[in-house]
Amino acid sequence: MAEEKKSILPKGLRDFYIEAGETTQFAGRFFREILFPPYEFREVIRQSYEIGYKSLPLVGITAFIIGLVLTLQSRPTLVSFGAEAWLPAMVGVSIIREIGPVITALICAGKIGSSIGAELGSMKVTEQIDAMEVSGTNPFKYIVVSRIVSTTLMIPVLVVIGDAISLYGAFLAVKVKGAVSFTLFFHQVFEALNFGDALPSVIKSFFFGFAIGLIGCYKGYHSKKGTEGVGRSANSAVVVSSLLIFIIDLMAVQITEFFGLI
Amino acid sequence: MKEDVAYHVMAPEQKKYGDPIIEISHLVKSFGDNHVLRDYSLTIRKGENVVVLGKSGCGKSVLIKCIVGLIPYDKGSLKVFGNEISEIQQQELDELRAKIGFVFQSSALYDSMTVRENLEFALRRHGKGKSRTEVNALVEETLDNVGLLHAVEVMPAELSGGMRKRIGLARSLILKPEIMLYDEPTTGLDPITAKEISNLMLKMQLKYNTSSIIISHDMHCAQLTANRLSVMIDGINYAEGTFDELRKMNDPKVHAFFEIL
Repeated sequence: MAEEKKSILPKGLRDFYIEAGETTQFAGRFFREILFPPYEFREVIRQSYEIGYKSLPLVGITAFIIGLVLTLQSRPTLVSFGAEAWLPAMVGVSIIREIGPVITALICAGKIGSSIGAELGSMKVTEQIDAMEVSGTNPFKYIVVSRIVSTTLMIPVLVVIGDAISLYGAFLAVKVKGAVSFTLFFHQVFEALNFGDALPSVIKSFFFGFAIGLIGCYKGYHSKKGTEGVGRSANSAVVVSSLLIFIIDLMAVQITEFFGLI
Repeated sequence: MKEDVAYHVMAPEQKKYGDPIIEISHLVKSFGDNHVLRDYSLTIRKGENVVVLGKSGCGKSVLIKCIVGLIPYDKGSLKVFGNEISEIQQQELDELRAKIGFVFQSSALYDSMTVRENLEFALRRHGKGKSRTEVNALVEETLDNVGLLHAVEVMPAELSGGMRKRIGLARSLILKPEIMLYDEPTTGLDPITAKEISNLMLKMQLKYNTSSIIISHDMHCAQLTANRLSVMIDGINYAEGTFDELRKMNDPKVHAFFEIL
């Protein structure tokens, strides 16, 4: 019998590379499957409702609090420099460029990523995915493609709504501490912002959404047997997608800088 | 030379059944070092109910998953309606699957869908062209057959174990398959419900004129439903025959299954 070739890499590193390779293959299969019919439009709409609409309250509340707290905490520093008038501009740029997309994506990684990981994991364990395949439906297309498409489309929408709510929270914080009108606040915010701030922010949100959907689906679809495996899938879906969000954010900043948009 | 039959063949009464519809010959399947199916051969004829007996983990479920193409086999031949499963394209496999009903051990009902949606799901691909009225009539007829018409709008989580099995059976029957594959249909049920499910399987076989492979280690179910039994031991078709023939066998490995009766 041929002896198994011993790897020179430590087990942890080898497992990491194997998982990275499998995730890439999984992503490749997504791009292959999305191109060819049948298209699961109804399931995409249903998932978009579940992922987008049902995440709105959580994203909205969090965005509002972040906008409010960021403004309240930044104000004393700006006041000490005599730059209080810059507060709307500073808060606006911070929220639109960075805080809005990243916080929204992290919240969605927690809520949606874990939900997808657990749902698919439990479907796998209870043979529902096999049952779908036996009935002649391509489970990858029906379950995975629809969810990844939905997260990719819905996260940018949630980011834009979250940004708007966050800016409103910032306005209320400024309003509480001093006399500023709604029009003046938003005039100052939009004067400080330009196309180069908004566009990269929206584009990277698509990648955040793709990463959340991809990792959630991959972890759930490859869940090992048993309830422990389902829990592990949900947990690692959140951890890995959160990490990926920061990596994508870092890459987005580099690319934005390369194109001179910062 | 290998034979295409079991090691202990007890006068199979195959003449009264139709042509072979599933032909398994020297099937081999391993998972790493775990050799599950070593050299398994079995033929199922039209209208026949064959129960595959074996201990837990001996590869019974793997066998029927190979038949529907859920698990690829390593060696040997597996023909369903004359089609070699490992050689057909995905589209042909999907068409073939429409003729095969599969009842999973855990029922595998879709948790997020109602009973009606569970049944309609199978019609998504194979029931195209049917009007809403036809689909509704088909769903209601199938549920009526398993005695659960009243549960049409219920979610699977609200059903008992026996009801889930019945819905699982109804879902696999909705396309009126020619072959039924049952993966431990009575496991986890009390004896009365298990008997009801066994009787229901027989009733459905008569109504829809199906041929079946029933994976089980429930001897009462086997006694009630089998025209023929295959005893799987160490990944081979160790013994084959009718219930009474196998019960009379002196082989201790075969006899062990009948001791509980």
